Amino acid sequence: MVDRAFDIRRLPGAATLAITCFVILYVPMIILVANSFNTGRVIGEWEGLSLRWYAAALQNEAFLNAAATSLILATMAAAVATVTATMAALATTRSRGFKGEGAIHLILNQPIMVPEIVLAIALLIILAQVKQITGYTGLGYLIIAHSAFCIPFAYMPIRARLEGMDLTLETAAADLYASRFYAFRKVTLPILAPGILAGFMLAFVISLDDVVISDFLKSPGQDTLPTYLLGELKRNLTSEIYAISSLLLLISVLIVAGSWLVTRKKI
Amino acid sequence: MLDIRDLTKSFGKGDSAVTALHEVNFSIAEGEFFTLLGPSGCGKTTLLRLIAGFEPPSGGALVLDGQDIAQMPPNKRPVNTVFQNYALFPHMTVAENVSFALGAQGRPKSEIAETVGRMLNLVQLGHLAHRKSGELSGGQQQRVALARALAPKPRILLLDEPLSALDMKLRKEMQVELKRLQQETGLTFIFVTHDQEEALTMSDRIAVMNGGRIQQIASPRDLYDQPANRFVAGFIGETNFLSARCEGGQLFLPQADAPLPLPHRDGPVTLMIRPEHVVMGATQQESLALTAKVERLTYFGTDTHVHLRLADGATLVARVQNALRGGASCRDGETIPVSLPADALRLLPQEVA
Ligand SMILES: Nc1ncnc2c1ncn2[C@@H]1O[C@H](COP(=O)(O)OP(=O)(O)O)[C@@H](O)[C@H]1O
Ligand SMILES: [Mg+2]
Repeated sequence: MVDRAFDIRRLPGAATLAITCFVILYVPMIILVANSFNTGRVIGEWEGLSLRWYAAALQNEAFLNAAATSLILATMAAAVATVTATMAALATTRSRGFKGEGAIHLILNQPIMVPEIVLAIALLIILAQVKQITGYTGLGYLIIAHSAFCIPFAYMPIRARLEGMDLTLETAAADLYASRFYAFRKVTLPILAPGILAGFMLAFVISLDDVVISDFLKSPGQDTLPTYLLGELKRNLTSEIYAISSLLLLISVLIVAGSWLVTRKKI
Repeated sequence: MLDIRDLTKSFGKGDSAVTALHEVNFSIAEGEFFTLLGPSGCGKTTLLRLIAGFEPPSGGALVLDGQDIAQMPPNKRPVNTVFQNYALFPHMTVAENVSFALGAQGRPKSEIAETVGRMLNLVQLGHLAHRKSGELSGGQQQRVALARALAPKPRILLLDEPLSALDMKLRKEMQVELKRLQQETGLTFIFVTHDQEEALTMSDRIAVMNGGRIQQIASPRDLYDQPANRFVAGFIGETNFLSARCEGGQLFLPQADAPLPLPHRDGPVTLMIRPEHVVMGATQQESLALTAKVERLTYFGTDTHVHLRLADGATLVARVQNALRGGASCRDGETIPVSLPADALRLLPQEVA
C-alpha cells in the first residue's frame, strides 16, 4: 500500500472530540432559542409556544435604549475602525519594507493579544480622570475604546484582500494618466471594497458582543445590550432574556453570514 | 523623436547593487516599429519601465520631442504600455477598461463614447464591450489591453512581451494583426520580445540586448547578415563559429586546405558562416576548401541539416534545401569536400569566453 499523508481524521477519538465540542457549542444555543418561545415566565418550565416575550421585549424601554446604544456604538466604532484599518493596510502593503513595519503590525494587532480585562482596567483609570475633568459622560468613551479594539478585526480581511491584489493594476492606472487619487478611487478602492465591507461587519459584531470593556467604561445609567443582559441576569431571570439573547444571536449570525458572502467573491 | 542618452539603471545600494542597464543609447524615429530583443533578464522590461516612468533612471537622459522626460511622472507622459500580464481592471467591463485613460484625462463623454467604439472596432471586440474583463480568453484580453493603451493616442506605445502568454497559432495571428495595427495607425511602437523570429518578422529595427547592454541596433536583414559580435550572431538564427587567424591580408583557417586572401587587421578572429551558406562539395567561387566527415543528417521537411565533423574535431552544420537537386546527396560516415564561400564569411572579434 502507498503511504498516505497523515490524516487527522484517523486519529482515535478525534471524531468523538469534535462532536463533543459541537454539541457543547450548539445544543445550549438551540435550547436558548427554543425557550425564548416559551409562554411560561420561569426558565425550565415549558408552558406552551408563544411570541409573548418578544412582544414584552419590544415594549421594554430599558431594553430598547440598550439596543439603540449598542447599534449606534457598533456602527460608529466599526466605521472608525474600518477607516483606520484601511489606511493601515494600505500603508503596510504599499510601502514595501519600511523601517518599523513589524512594530506597526504588533501595535495594530495588540488588542487581540492583550487580555481584555487589562485593557479595560487601563482605560478605566485614564477615562475616569478624563470624565472628572471634562464632566462629559456620553457615548464618546465607549466609541473610542471600541474603535481601538475593533481595528485588528477590521484590518485582517482588508489586508488579505489587498495582498491578493495585483500591484500592476495601480501601475497601469498611472500609465493611463490617472492621478494617485483617481487611481485609488477608480481601481484600488473598488477592488478593496469587499474586504472593507467584511472588515466593517466583523468589527460591528465584535463591538456588539463586547461586555468587559463596555461594563468598565460605561457611565452610570448607560447600558449596551450585553451589559443590560448581564444586569438583568443578576436581577430577575425570565424568558424575556432568552428572547433578547435570541435577537442578538440573530443579528450576529446575519452579519457574519453577510461578511462571509462578500469575501467569498473572487477579485 | 525619442532619444535615449547614456541611460543607466541600478537597483539596490552598495555591495548588493545590481546594474540592470549600462549606458544605453539609441534614437527612435516617428512611426517606427522598434524591437528590444534579448534573453530573459537582460534588462528589456527595466528599459521599458524607465521609458514609461515607472522607475526613475540612475543616470542619463530620456528626450521625447525635445523635452527631457526622465523625471516626469508616468501619468504625465504621452506614452502607454501594454503589460505582459495585460493588467486589465478586473472590476470593469471591456468598454470601461478602454475608456479609463480618457476618463482620467477628463475628456467629454461624447468623445469618450466615440473613441471607445472606434478602438473596439479596431481590435474587433465591439460585440464584447459589456463583458467583464475576467470573462475573456487570453487573446481577447490581449486585444482589450491594446485598445486600452491606444485609446488616449499616445506618442509611443510600449509592449512588454505582449504575445508570450498566447499559444503558437494565436501568436502568429496576433503578430500579423499588431503589425497591421501599427501600420494603420502610424504609431511608434517599442516592442519587447525574447523571440528572435518574432523580432525579425515584425520590426523595422531591432536592438539586441545582453547583460544590460545594447549589443547592436540594425534592421532585421543587417542584423542577420552583419552581426556585430558573437552574441548577436548566436542569438539570431543558427550559426557556425570557427576559430581562425588573419595575417598579411590572408585568412588562415587551420582546417582549410589553403588560406584565403581577405583584407583584415592581423590577429585571431572568430569566423562565422550561416548553415545555409555552407556548400557541400567543391565550388568555382572564391572559398575556403575543407574536408569533413558526415556525422548525422536531420530531416526538417523544407531542408536537411547535415552535421559535419572537421579533421581537428570542430563541428560544422550545413543546411541543404530539399527542393534543390533533391536535397543532400551524402550519407552518414562519408568523407566529403566542403566549401565556405568567401562572400558568406563574416569575421567577428574573438572574445574570451
Ligand atoms: N525592482 C528590481 N529590483 C532589483 N533588481 C531588479 C529589479 N527589476 C529588475 N531587476 C534586475 O534587473 C535585471 C533585468 O531585469 P528585467 O528588466 O526584468 O529583464 P528582462 O525583462 O529582459 O527579462 C535582472 O537581473 C533583474 O533581476
Ligand atoms: Mg521582462
